[in-house]
Amino acid sequence: MSLHVEILIAKHFKKSVFKNKAVFIITLFIGLLLLYAAFSGWENYTNQNETSEKYQHESREDWLKNPDKNPHRMAHYGNFAFRKSTPLSVFEFGMEPFFGNAIFLEAHKQNTANFSEAGFSNSMLRFGEVSIAMVLQILLPLLIFFLGFNAIATERENGTLKLLLSQGISWKQLLLGKTLGIAAVILLLFIPTIIILVVLWLVLQNFSISADETIKMGLFILFHFIYLMFFCFIAVLISAASKTSKNALISLIGIWLLFTIILPRTTQAIGAYLYEAPSKIQFQSDIEKDILKQGDSHNPNDPHYKAIKDSLLLVYKVDSVQKLPFNYSGFIMTEGEKISANIYNKHLETLLKVYEQQNSFSKAVSFFNPYIAMKNLSMGLSNTDYDSYIDFQKQAETYRYDMAQKMNALQIKYISNKKPGPNDKPLTIDKEHWAEVDEFQYQPKGIVAVLKSEMISIISIILWISFLFVLIRIAAKNLKAI
Amino acid sequence: MLALLFKNFIRSKGTKVGLIFLLIIGFISLLIGQQFQQKQQNNIVEAATYQKEHIARNASYHKDDLGLLLYYIKFSLVNKTLPINSLAIGQRDVNPSIQNVTIRGLEGQKYDAELNNPNNLLSGNIDFSFVLIYLFPLLIVAFSYNLVSEEKESGTWKIVATQSENTFVYILKLFYIRILSLIVLLTVVLLVAVLFLAIPFDTALLTFYLLGVLYILFWFAVSFFIVSLQKNSNFNAVILLTIWLFLIIIVPATINTYVVNKYPVPEALELTVKQRNAYHEKWDMEKKITMDKFYNHYPQFKTYLLPDKEFSWLWYYAMQQAGDDDSAKESQELETKLQQRNTASQFIAQFIPTLHTQIQLNEIAKADLGNQLLFLKETKQFHENLRLYFYPKIFDNKAVNEENWSKFKVETFTDPSETNLVKTLLPLIFFNLLLLALGWINFKNNKLQTF
Repeated sequence: MSLHVEILIAKHFKKSVFKNKAVFIITLFIGLLLLYAAFSGWENYTNQNETSEKYQHESREDWLKNPDKNPHRMAHYGNFAFRKSTPLSVFEFGMEPFFGNAIFLEAHKQNTANFSEAGFSNSMLRFGEVSIAMVLQILLPLLIFFLGFNAIATERENGTLKLLLSQGISWKQLLLGKTLGIAAVILLLFIPTIIILVVLWLVLQNFSISADETIKMGLFILFHFIYLMFFCFIAVLISAASKTSKNALISLIGIWLLFTIILPRTTQAIGAYLYEAPSKIQFQSDIEKDILKQGDSHNPNDPHYKAIKDSLLLVYKVDSVQKLPFNYSGFIMTEGEKISANIYNKHLETLLKVYEQQNSFSKAVSFFNPYIAMKNLSMGLSNTDYDSYIDFQKQAETYRYDMAQKMNALQIKYISNKKPGPNDKPLTIDKEHWAEVDEFQYQPKGIVAVLKSEMISIISIILWISFLFVLIRIAAKNLKAI
Repeated sequence: MLALLFKNFIRSKGTKVGLIFLLIIGFISLLIGQQFQQKQQNNIVEAATYQKEHIARNASYHKDDLGLLLYYIKFSLVNKTLPINSLAIGQRDVNPSIQNVTIRGLEGQKYDAELNNPNNLLSGNIDFSFVLIYLFPLLIVAFSYNLVSEEKESGTWKIVATQSENTFVYILKLFYIRILSLIVLLTVVLLVAVLFLAIPFDTALLTFYLLGVLYILFWFAVSFFIVSLQKNSNFNAVILLTIWLFLIIIVPATINTYVVNKYPVPEALELTVKQRNAYHEKWDMEKKITMDKFYNHYPQFKTYLLPDKEFSWLWYYAMQQAGDDDSAKESQELETKLQQRNTASQFIAQFIPTLHTQIQLNEIAKADLGNQLLFLKETKQFHENLRLYFYPKIFDNKAVNEENWSKFKVETFTDPSETNLVKTLLPLIFFNLLLLALGWINFKNNKLQTF
């Protein structure tokens, strides 16, 4: 199959586009915006990671510098989980501004992830952010529509469409040619962007890239390319189906507004409205109530802890906990930590289920809206999506739990069961033990996990592409010259 | 004539669909606002019952140790939610409206975040301010992009030009009916909101309404100016949508990045690392160092001397106090930076009508960064008052049941800041007049009558 005719049409279209001064200005401007987006993404990323690394390191040093002390005091001294970004987040900020950047990890207590960018900003942030992904996903489709609305409609208005078709050019060739023409213009922006992107991405990682990151980057580029080509086709199809170029323009603008502005917000709002999530105070008081039901270690007469005590006394054949051969309060705290962590996790699962129900609407709508599919996928690839954040919090909680139980174990093992008198020095263990707790390391989700959680988006994009091919076939058969 | 123009306008299918769509989504925004309002109210009720039970339970467990009891119990401060907040939720979904604090170190508790689904935050609320700021302009653009140009393209303009005495007045009339219909729509939605959400008639509501009207007029002024250039409909549509895109997404986002990069806040993480160490290291220091610091901060407590025991609550709370005192510098710096961010963005926003309107609506609704900063300040005061009340009692080893614990109710902070009408409305008035004048000059220069 030779694409000679199509290429001719495309070349002609491209030439006519650049005769228009406004196109030059808009393209130039979007180019500048892309540069700015790359720059600010870079700033963001380096700031975020430098600060986060600095304080992760500093707080680790602080932890290790602690002198000999009671391990339970170390459990309260605690550790921090600071969130780090992945290289792709330079291009796709995703939900990052709304993520808390630091979690304080201590015994008995699951703290919130604090210090999100959004909490430190006024409403400006809520208008959105300028990132490369935003330009690629929102602005370029609009530019495509601005370039393409008159691709065929104007030929119809001028009467040149009849001439073209009567010269033996088929509808299919015409549609394909015009699409290639728009694509050629868009690629003038897309290809340099990708080159800058890849260079930036390589520099950020000092040219030592992992296979995982490379696949993510490759998919990021590939899917954005498909996404943009999709809009080129839509523009030409709508232009071909419209009586006048004005109608084509208005329809395309409507589609764009619906896809990128109206649908994303409304679908998420519907989810949030239908499935109401508890607020923090509700969540925490529910957990506290459940813990009290299970057993309250602060209550001296609590039946759960009394049963534990009685069975211990029985097994070790002693008459008071002071005579037990190990540290009793360490044992009780181990039990308390287990109970409270279990209950917390159960409530968290319920909460996350509510969140997932809220999100299910916009996930389902990705079948009707390629923008949401693309957005979700690119956030997944850059680890700035919902799942990644939950993953970060879960990793932090696992670390917290292990740390607290490690300290309890040290207490059981090394701290005498005899309470010191009011004037005795506190019981301590050697500071060497502090290094037995590893530093917190956040591991971003790998490509397999990302693809799994974004399967819907990928299926949706594939369905959209197949739908498009069907549409082109139908259009080629049914379109009229007048 | 005006009646005929109105009939012609309202009869068009697009107009009807547009107006009905806006009305419906306006009402949806009120539903969402109502849900938000209810959630806030439930939280306050929940906080009150929780505090009551929580204090009573702990007071019964720790009957003979006031110091230990105050280690556990939390007191709540509520940031009052005004009914008008339902129209502009602002930052109230990101920031918690209730602070829960013990009398221990404040810096480790002050910045605790609200639980949130980040997906909801990213896509944003459909509150009324969204409808006003994002969607009203779209309808305004749709209503006016083809005024004059469409008539020229279909050839009817010549008839208009010959039949009416003054074509400029004719154009004004076309705008007049469109402006009127959207202002009526705004008024209807707000009236329903007043009834539905129990918003009191006060200056806040009036300012909100005036700002809304001026904002609608601003977009008509933009359209008027573009129409005055007398280009074709396609050009107008493209250019108006581009302006919308700029003012709604690109410019605010760019300014936000600028402000964030200009005033970065590494202090936040520094503060949180520092306060942890500042308190904990005191356990391993000479007690005298801690006590001297404490007496320095509170000379009135100098009379309380450290008992001859390894552990005492006086020493413990002095250590906790040291955590706050030693990280006070970072805390102050963070507050200053956030204040600077707020001032800078408010200043720049004066030149961007969309941004200005959003920020002002949030300010009226007490849901902006300024309100959050005041709430944090008030939290500090609230915490300090608790400390000053309980410190002497703990140090005196007062009995737990001497205290009437039921008197510790949830307290409420009411943001006292008032909106400055001139500051709120002037930027929009200025831009409206400027665009009108420029449009008028264009129409005059183009010698409309000759068409």
